[in-house]
Amino acid sequence: MSNKHKILVVEDERKIRSFMKAILDTNGYQVVTAGDCVQGEFMYCSHRPDLVLLDLGLPDMDGMCFIQKIRLTDATPIIVLSARTEEGDKVEALDAGANDYITKPFGTAELLARVRATLRNHRYEKLEEGDSYGKYVCRDMEIDYEKRKVEVCGEEIKLTQTEYNIVALLSRHSGRVMTYAAIIRGVWGSADAGSVKKLQVNMANIRKKLGSRPGESKYIINELGVGYRMEDEG
Amino acid sequence: MDKCKRELKNALFTLLVLSGMFVISYVLQSIFHTQRFTSDLFILGVFLISLKIEGYVWGILAALFSVLAVNFAFTFPYFAFDFIAPESIASAVVMLIVAVLTSTLTTQIKEQEKTRRETEKERMRANLLRGISHDLRTPLTTIYGSCSAIIENYDSLKKERKIKLLGEIREDSEWLIRMVENLLSITKIDGEKVQVIKVPTVLEELIDATLVKFYKRYPNIEVHVEIPDEFISIPMDALLIEQVLMNLLENAVFHARGMSRIDFLVKREGEWAVFYIMDDGCGIMEGKLTKLFDGYLDREEKISDGNRHNMSIGLSVCATIINAHGGTIGAENRKEGGACFSFRLKTEEDDE
Repeated sequence: MSNKHKILVVEDERKIRSFMKAILDTNGYQVVTAGDCVQGEFMYCSHRPDLVLLDLGLPDMDGMCFIQKIRLTDATPIIVLSARTEEGDKVEALDAGANDYITKPFGTAELLARVRATLRNHRYEKLEEGDSYGKYVCRDMEIDYEKRKVEVCGEEIKLTQTEYNIVALLSRHSGRVMTYAAIIRGVWGSADAGSVKKLQVNMANIRKKLGSRPGESKYIINELGVGYRMEDEG
Repeated sequence: MDKCKRELKNALFTLLVLSGMFVISYVLQSIFHTQRFTSDLFILGVFLISLKIEGYVWGILAALFSVLAVNFAFTFPYFAFDFIAPESIASAVVMLIVAVLTSTLTTQIKEQEKTRRETEKERMRANLLRGISHDLRTPLTTIYGSCSAIIENYDSLKKERKIKLLGEIREDSEWLIRMVENLLSITKIDGEKVQVIKVPTVLEELIDATLVKFYKRYPNIEVHVEIPDEFISIPMDALLIEQVLMNLLENAVFHARGMSRIDFLVKREGEWAVFYIMDDGCGIMEGKLTKLFDGYLDREEKISDGNRHNMSIGLSVCATIINAHGGTIGAENRKEGGACFSFRLKTEEDDE
């Protein structure tokens, strides 16, 4: 079978590499691995993977450089693996162009869900770049990009311009975490000192309008200290 | 700034004591028509000042001033200095000696106190380490043993049995992960001087993220949440505070026997946001209330029942984190039964 998705795993711990390969192999992906950045770049060029799983704590080169190098030429989705102590790096990696992150230690289900979402997302993003039509449907929420309308259970939710823009932006990248900086850039264009607060206040209003309660958020997931993520379509 | 304030306070104290002595001397002198008490009183004053204030400076200053005062006001010729009189020189020497000796003594005692506190802290740390090593050994034994059992008897073990062993391995690994998370939190802070990096965090998002995590681990337990309607943003290290909330919630799950309901309240009291986590379980034993956040609560008796969820380490982590945020944490038993843990955080950063 050659139509399998090809995944490159760049991770310096042999054992983590080995179990990730086992998980991905058995779930129908083709896996190539690399133990450091140099090898990773080589594998990337020769195999042209559909997705890269990149550890942030690599010994030879900062993972960040690797992301930047790939982003110079390609839009191949990258998921970074980060330990809990590398909080800051994670946000930096996302802003440098990584598509998503997984915090170590992670379980099988989480890894597979992220990989699936990222791959699907990437396909959509390629199709819909800059489009202003089409629809996004997630459970009982529907976003009509043409009419700029959001409906939940068939009832229209009255959002302000800004609120709609935020929701639309998140939905276009559903399943993927958007950092505060990325959302601000997408909605307001430029950032100033109060931007994050402005975004947070808007999000609070959106949550209220969508009927979210703490612990049972609807459609939009909080990524504390990082940003927001719209639930995957479906 | 602090130093300035302290020096001002010291000066005020010195002035107060000396003027007090002056007044008393004057009153006694007018009653008894003798200066017999004057020197004694001023020596007492010097002694008090040296005792109360750290360092030598104020004690010696007070001694010199006392000599002058006695010489000026209470020895013949009155209200004029006369340094030739041998008794004034003698009293000056005596007062200086008293000041220096008392200061030396108090400084020494304070140093000793400091060393003692440090040893105590060292001891607590050693205890914590010992406790942790002990706690880590148990799940590691399970993991190691179960893995070996499966590898060595792969064919003879029934499938269900293998799944069960593997499940236990996973469970213990999860426990280890949580434990390490906690330890990482402490090492991130450690030492009182290290400032946590605070970022304004939306209360609602914090609670949402915590509960999502909590429900993932304990899908069958419901937490009743009540938070203010207004938009509240609190400067904090969100991951650390999330850890605190998680520890307190888990504490209710594991240690509140007979618990049927967990309530999670946040109230705004002036500039403080106060978090309450309440359960209706068995409550906390009276004797334990005060030692709850110390870090190594009755380790011996707990291990034996096989229930190792480390209330003590979890709670001491909570205390460390909250203290580093400049907040306070406490626990009490509710009148209705059950325990109530609460902590408060400032909603605004102190002006800098």
